[in-house]
Order: sequence, then structure tokens, then C-alpha cells
Amino acid sequence: MKLSKYYNRGEFVITSEVGPVKGCVRPSDGHTPACLAEATLLQNRVHAINVTDNQSAVMRLGSLAASVALKREGLEPIYQLTCRDRNRIALQSSLLNTYSFGIDNVLCLTGDHTSLGDHKSAKAVFDIDSVQLLKIARGMNAGHDMMGNALTQPTDLCLGAVVNPNFDPLDLQLMKMEKKIEAGAEFFQTQAVYDPKRFETFVRKTEGFGVPIQYGIVIVKSPQMGKFMNANVSGITVPDWIIDEMGSVAKADRRQKAAEITTRLVKEIAPMVQGVHFMPLGWSDVVVEVVAAIKASEGDLVQAVGA
Amino acid sequence: MIGTTQKPLEEILAALAEYQKIAVVGCDGCAKVCLTGGSEQVEELAGRLRKEGKRVVLEATPERTCYVDKSHTKLDPYVDQLTEAEAVIVLGCGGAVQITRQVTEELGLTIPVKTALDSVGHMDTLVSGELAMEQCQECGECILNETGGICPVTKCAKGLLNGPCGGAESGKCEVDPQRDCAWILIYNRMAALGELDKLKRFMAPKDYSKMAKPRILNIKEKKVA
Repeated sequence: MKLSKYYNRGEFVITSEVGPVKGCVRPSDGHTPACLAEATLLQNRVHAINVTDNQSAVMRLGSLAASVALKREGLEPIYQLTCRDRNRIALQSSLLNTYSFGIDNVLCLTGDHTSLGDHKSAKAVFDIDSVQLLKIARGMNAGHDMMGNALTQPTDLCLGAVVNPNFDPLDLQLMKMEKKIEAGAEFFQTQAVYDPKRFETFVRKTEGFGVPIQYGIVIVKSPQMGKFMNANVSGITVPDWIIDEMGSVAKADRRQKAAEITTRLVKEIAPMVQGVHFMPLGWSDVVVEVVAAIKASEGDLVQAVGA
Repeated sequence: MIGTTQKPLEEILAALAEYQKIAVVGCDGCAKVCLTGGSEQVEELAGRLRKEGKRVVLEATPERTCYVDKSHTKLDPYVDQLTEAEAVIVLGCGGAVQITRQVTEELGLTIPVKTALDSVGHMDTLVSGELAMEQCQECGECILNETGGICPVTKCAKGLLNGPCGGAESGKCEVDPQRDCAWILIYNRMAALGELDKLKRFMAPKDYSKMAKPRILNIKEKKVA
């Protein structure tokens, strides 16, 4: 089901993310890959699950095959499509493939640069950018490819995009966000933000944009991971208080602590927007806990959204 | 100019392993500016080759080796030395190597022409004798009029046309924290010019057919084919 339908009903939309395995998902082999096992944990707890596209430029199972595997299990995938590895022919063909396999949602991204991944000598494609991809995808929903050639059967994909509220200067990031809306983005998921004030500034500036936004949060699993993100992941800042709190508990209690911190942030920040997007990096069980905690206070969220 | 760096000596020697009598050809154009192929570097490489037991039969540095006329002007008088040479090693860009090959062919010689350099891009000299930077991809449809005179096709690692990705931090690129985010540079420049509104315009996908290799420029007709 298209994510836009939930937004149109005024629902607070919850999504999470799984990263495809570095290997196959062949059902007849009787083996359940981690990404599928994780996604299954989230069944009936989230509206949809993002399936990343060779995330961090690390070669893995494609997001299409993994999305199809999720769909087969009755889960709702959001197929992520980046501009890093495919030229405009392959991107458009991927959109046709995706819709043909029964997938309803696609998240259009630029993609991490090849130099950050495990095939650093690969040729980075970036034939088109995420704004152009959205515009092309909207055209395919309208029945034609980017050259204006008619499609025998159009796609009918709900188009999502991303934005980074941490970006400085924020106005430059918002300029691109507006271009994405103009191009056809129907919803946004944000980069991970841990500073409520920063997020509030972003929300105030996007009030008139008229598109639903999901607050994005990466679950910080350990103090080391927080420090690693600060040192190595551009565009995200994990504050000291999270690193300290994660470091204050025994290893065995980190899942519980991560769930507490994430719940706290989601309760504070998510009411400013129309949904939340979790990036658990393998800790989907923590998402289950956080979602249970949010649902317990759903009235507050709905009220805040309506206010 | 075309930026160049010298290959490791072992690689140069490997390329010349089968040959004893060597002609060393430099370039007093770009390679001179890069301190990789001017007369001094030609002399230096000739000295190294002699130490390795080679016989250097010619050292010559055309004014601009990629201009066929200038290469002929410099090399034609040395046709005897070139005839004696078993191989030519060129301290120039890939273009200089290929023009040198053309010149030898036009002189009726069939000798291997090898390169001692790696070409690393169309470079602009930012600090003379110190620093050059790639700022233009020769894309065939210049958009500098729209981007404050700063090229995102070249200076953005992803060549993005419609604004930055989300990866910049403290103004720096996610690919290299030493490098400025091209889109922040463009934004600041356009803000200073009072032209930020122009950045809001959708930029269509580039026509990469204009970069389809190998392009041919018909200088007389001012046409690219």
C-alpha cells in the first residue's frame, strides 16, 4: 500500500529500515536471511520498511530482491533507489521492475559516494541527481519515460525523498527539499537528528511546504558507535549525553538503554511532524519496544499533529 | 592545462625493458608547469636511464608537444636520432604521447612511443609551482552562468546539479573533509551576488552525448562532432 494513503487518512506513519544481506535470499534454500528475520519482527508494528540500496556504497543484495522478499512475507517495503550505481536507463528500468514486482513505495536518493564503501575503485555513476530522479519517476507514473516515450503500462509509485535537517546552511538544504517537492516527492524522511531544537527550527521553516515529514533516528547501540558516527558519518551529530548514557550501563543493558533514549527522543521530536522513521542498523527488536512505547502514548502524538 | 604526475621509475623502466637506445621527449607546455616534463625533468630522466645502462640518443622538449606543428618543428631536425632510437619515452600528457607517435609515423618511423607520466585531469594552477585543481570537465554545455562561476559538475564529488546531498559537514565534502562542499561555495557566492533566487530553478539532466568519446573539434567550422 502506498504510504501516501496513510498520510491522507491523517495517520502518524511509522517506518523502519533493514539493510539487505551480503548474500542471497533464495526461499527454496530454507535459510532466513537476517534482513528478512528483522523485517518479520516489525510486522504489524510499522506501516512500511525501507530496504536500503547498497547502503554506504557496500555491495550487497539489491534492494529490489530484498523488497520482493519482504512483500512475499506480507510486509510493506519502501524500495530505496540511489543514483550512484545506475545511469538514467537503468534507473528508469528499475522503477518499471519495482512496480512490476508489486512494490508501491520508492525512496529516491543520491546515494553515498563509492569512496565510502567496499569497492572504492568503482566508477561512480551519478548520471542524474535525486531531484531529477523524482521528476522522472513522476513522469513514469504519468505514463511516459524521461524522453517522453509512452509506457505500455505506467507505474503508480508513491515517491519519497530525504532531507538532512542538520545541514548548515539549512536554507540551502531546504532549497533542494523544495525542488524535490516540486519534482514530485510525496513524503520525506529526515537524516538522523538528536537535537530537538535543531529539528524544531527545521520544522518551522518547512511548515508551508505541504508535505508529510518523518523524523529520522538512527538507534545508537553503544558509546563507541556514537563516537564512530561523529568521526566518520558526515551530516549526523550524536550528542555527548547519548554517548555518556550508553556508556553508563553494562553491555547487556544497552538494548534497554537504547530503547529508552530513542523513545524519549521520538516522544519529544516526532509530534512536530507526521511520522517517524527508525534506522536500527540490526536492532529491529529495539524498534519493537520503542513502537510499543509510542503507541501507549499515541493520543499525545495525534493531538500534537492536529494542533 | 593538463595535470600530470610522473610514474614510478620501476614502471618506466619496465616499459623500456626491451629497449636499449632511448629518445626522451618532454613538453614545455603543461608538463613544464607541473614540473613533470620540462627540459629539467627530461635531463633528469635521461640521467636515470643512463645510470640504468641505457643509451639516450636524444633529449628534446617541444614548446607544446600536443601541437603537431610544434612537435614536428622540434623533432624533425632529429630524424636520424629518432631513427636510431629503439623507443621514445615521452614526459607529457596522454595527448603529447599520441602526437609524438603521430609525428614519428609521419617521419616514416615505426618505433614504440611510451609514456613516463600519468595524466590526472584538466587543471587550473591555483598557486604557481605549488597547487593545481580540476575545475572543469569539458562537459560541452557549460552551466557556470547559472552557478556563480563555480562548477558543480566538477567540484561536487557527485556532480549534483540541483543542490547539495546531505553529506556535507562544517562546509566540507563527505568524500574528503579537506575539500569544500561545492554547493555551499555556490550558495555563498550566489548569496553575495544577490542571486540566490536563480539557484531555485530546476536543472535538467545533462546531455552526456556531448561528452561522448572521442570528441572531434572542427576548428575551421567551429563544430564539435
